Amino acid sequence: MLYILEDTINGILMGSIYGLTALGLTLIFGVLKVINFAHGSLLMVGMYVAYWAVALTGLHPYLALILVVPVMYLFGYYLQDIVIKPIFKAEREVREPITVIIVTTGLWYILDNVTLLLFGPQYRTIQANPLRGKMLELGGMLISVPKLWGFVTALITAASIYWFLQRTRLGRAIRATSLDRDAASLMGIKQYKVYNIAFGIGTATAGIAGVTLVPFYNVFPSVGVLFDIKGFIIVVLGGLGSMGGALLGGMIIGVIESVGPQFMAATWTEAIVYGLFLVFLFVKPSGLFGVRYDW
Amino acid sequence: MKQQRLEVLSLLPVVVIAFGLPLVLHSPTYLHIIILLYFYAYLTTSWNLVGGFAGVLPLGHAAFVGIGAYSSTVLSLQYGISPWLGMIVGGVLATLVGVIIGLPTFKMRGAYFALATIAFAEGLRVMVENIDYLGPFNLNGPRGLEISPLNVGLANFMFTTKEPYYYIVLVMLVGVLALTYLISRSKLGYYLQAGGEEPEAAMSLGVNVARCKLIAMAMSSFLTALAGTFYAQFTLYIHPKSVISLDLSFEIAFIALIGGRGSIAGPILGALLLRPVSDLSRIYFGATLPGLHLIIFGIVLILVMIYQPRGLQEPLTRAYNKLLERLAARPAVGV
Amino acid sequence: MKMLEVRDLVKDFGGLRAVDNLTLALDEGEILGLIGPNGAGKSTAFNCIAGVYPPTTGEISFKGEKINNERPWNLCKRGLARTFQIVKPFPSKTVLYNVVVGSFATTEKKPEAERKALDILHYLHLEDKKDVLARNLTIADRKRLEIARALATEPKLLLLDEVMAGLRPTEVDEMVRIIKDLRDKGVTLFIIEHIMRAIMAVSDRVVVIHFGQKIAEGTPQTVAADERVIKAYLGEEYGVS
Repeated sequence: MLYILEDTINGILMGSIYGLTALGLTLIFGVLKVINFAHGSLLMVGMYVAYWAVALTGLHPYLALILVVPVMYLFGYYLQDIVIKPIFKAEREVREPITVIIVTTGLWYILDNVTLLLFGPQYRTIQANPLRGKMLELGGMLISVPKLWGFVTALITAASIYWFLQRTRLGRAIRATSLDRDAASLMGIKQYKVYNIAFGIGTATAGIAGVTLVPFYNVFPSVGVLFDIKGFIIVVLGGLGSMGGALLGGMIIGVIESVGPQFMAATWTEAIVYGLFLVFLFVKPSGLFGVRYDW
Repeated sequence: MKQQRLEVLSLLPVVVIAFGLPLVLHSPTYLHIIILLYFYAYLTTSWNLVGGFAGVLPLGHAAFVGIGAYSSTVLSLQYGISPWLGMIVGGVLATLVGVIIGLPTFKMRGAYFALATIAFAEGLRVMVENIDYLGPFNLNGPRGLEISPLNVGLANFMFTTKEPYYYIVLVMLVGVLALTYLISRSKLGYYLQAGGEEPEAAMSLGVNVARCKLIAMAMSSFLTALAGTFYAQFTLYIHPKSVISLDLSFEIAFIALIGGRGSIAGPILGALLLRPVSDLSRIYFGATLPGLHLIIFGIVLILVMIYQPRGLQEPLTRAYNKLLERLAARPAVGV
Repeated sequence: MKMLEVRDLVKDFGGLRAVDNLTLALDEGEILGLIGPNGAGKSTAFNCIAGVYPPTTGEISFKGEKINNERPWNLCKRGLARTFQIVKPFPSKTVLYNVVVGSFATTEKKPEAERKALDILHYLHLEDKKDVLARNLTIADRKRLEIARALATEPKLLLLDEVMAGLRPTEVDEMVRIIKDLRDKGVTLFIIEHIMRAIMAVSDRVVVIHFGQKIAEGTPQTVAADERVIKAYLGEEYGVS
């Protein structure tokens, strides 16, 4: 019984990190109304940036945030500006820009393989980092410390973004654009600037998620693929556009992955996750907390 | 001379060359490459029925390749059933799966549909990788199934040289192209494209959009599964990562998109342009620059989507049509 | 038997009642106009009739048969066609292609569908533009294309949703002429319109909706003089020619 509780807690912690990775995805969807298929790759880039920052300086992994956040923000900002904006402009009349999905998929391939080219396929880890393998003992249970840090980071990040969207002018501009981009632009809000910023924030969030993963997760060029698909699943589960939903969805997945192997082969839990995903897609595509969109 | 006649005449030399090629080209390596080229052209043309004509973005079509490959292979290995028969069984099975998937997913909007197809394909792959037996059928999990080239002959879909495979896949390709051509000129074709572009308007004009999409999906999944059997018989080894992989699904979609989905020439053109890039970069740069061809794919895809969203076939088709118009108008070409 | 009968039609969207107990009927060969201020519920009523969504309560009958839950494509087969307020051509296809889609509602063969489509294009003076891509048409031509497409399905009843919006006065007159001509060909017409002089000139009868409720019904002249109608439109100009 205690094992199950331990697994559940670790599952929630890991799940919150999953949620963190999906946070950017749901934000980008909420504002730009596109599903960014390259999100996993952006996470991977974030992980590499964090990895190199730590490997070269020997600093505490979380200090890498100082570098990672601005770098990823700018990366995302200009990615949207240079690559995706032209598509938006070309498809202004189209109701749902499918082409953007295709383009982000192309980005995924490019990012993953350029990384492969530059850094090779080997798995990298930061061996000598203060968080690796640390466990916290709590009432007979072993809680993973790096995941705990991740949990806290996830909550702080989500709360910060929430505060930003609710309390700052720029945040309100972003929310306005996400609700009705034509009306917002008529009020003087520069639509594409908002998109760039939202994409930048989403990418920066992926970077933060990367930092939380680097202490205990392997870094390799295709690491993004696993998180990419998981990210979609989480975001659909939680509701596209809902940040709380992303965290909650992530935790659900985390718990399934953690507790599941107690009862069945680990690989079957993957199948369950896919099954749950499909169920939600069919039955409640707006997810647990999703906003209804007038497509 | 009428433009239509010119069209047919212009295709004649292509057909002749295609069928006559093995008579002059004997290198098995090159034949192998061309066979795979036709294979991909076939896959993308089949995909095009749903991804092009119906206007949705299926990103899990490799699932049908897998269904076809596994059906015929299991049936022939375990029960000695001829792969040709197994091919049909695979096709029917794929059709059923395709329709079952299509029923709930076609109601979804673009991005959700794409995600759902990915989920189905990945779910299938995970399932096949994890189970050794599906009821009485031995799928052998991640190790895959190997076909020993014992019983050679047409009846067993097994040959020692490349030439028979060449002709089989060529006939399949020509068949699927002819089918696409016929559909594009038929009521179903018009309805599919209308439903893909403006579903509300199409519905008000009498188009049952969902039903048309299902029909397209049924055809597409059936045809795709046939290619799966071909692949199994040609390469003699199938495993989940080779036939049900996300990479394959994406590659099919990418090629069709770059070539130009929704058109007849687009998918073939895409295959003709991209497969050699893929093969060459693997041969020459495989060791030093792995994944180069994927980077090229990605860049080309993005550029095409920005500058030529209807695919690379558009400028070429326009030039081709203009040329035919000019020739048709000239009285001197009196045939 | 009435061509179209709407009895106590109610359509709620969550807490909002868009159409409130609307009752009206069309005889065969009639032209009925539906007018009302913006947001009055006109398009909603059309959408219920055309099968886009079912009514919350109430009954809709077409040629004597109840059609409450019929889907648009089935209604089209029964002879009910419609146009859209915001035109929805198939933008990447030619004018001819657009109309052929409609013609396929009456035939299975492409040559015949094309022939019928060309006839309709000829009738609406769009023949010379048959190979133009729909996205390259002017708004007036798009509106005519919209009608051509719907006509191709050989409807008995045609619902026209603000076909005149965005047209210049000469184009409006042309459209009025087309509509009257359609009636002569045996099509019953139910028209939503804002341009007063057009609808008054073309309708046999007019129904006025305000906040989802019918507030007046009668000939154009009667309705124009009705006090409630004038109050509803206070601030809007119109003139009866």
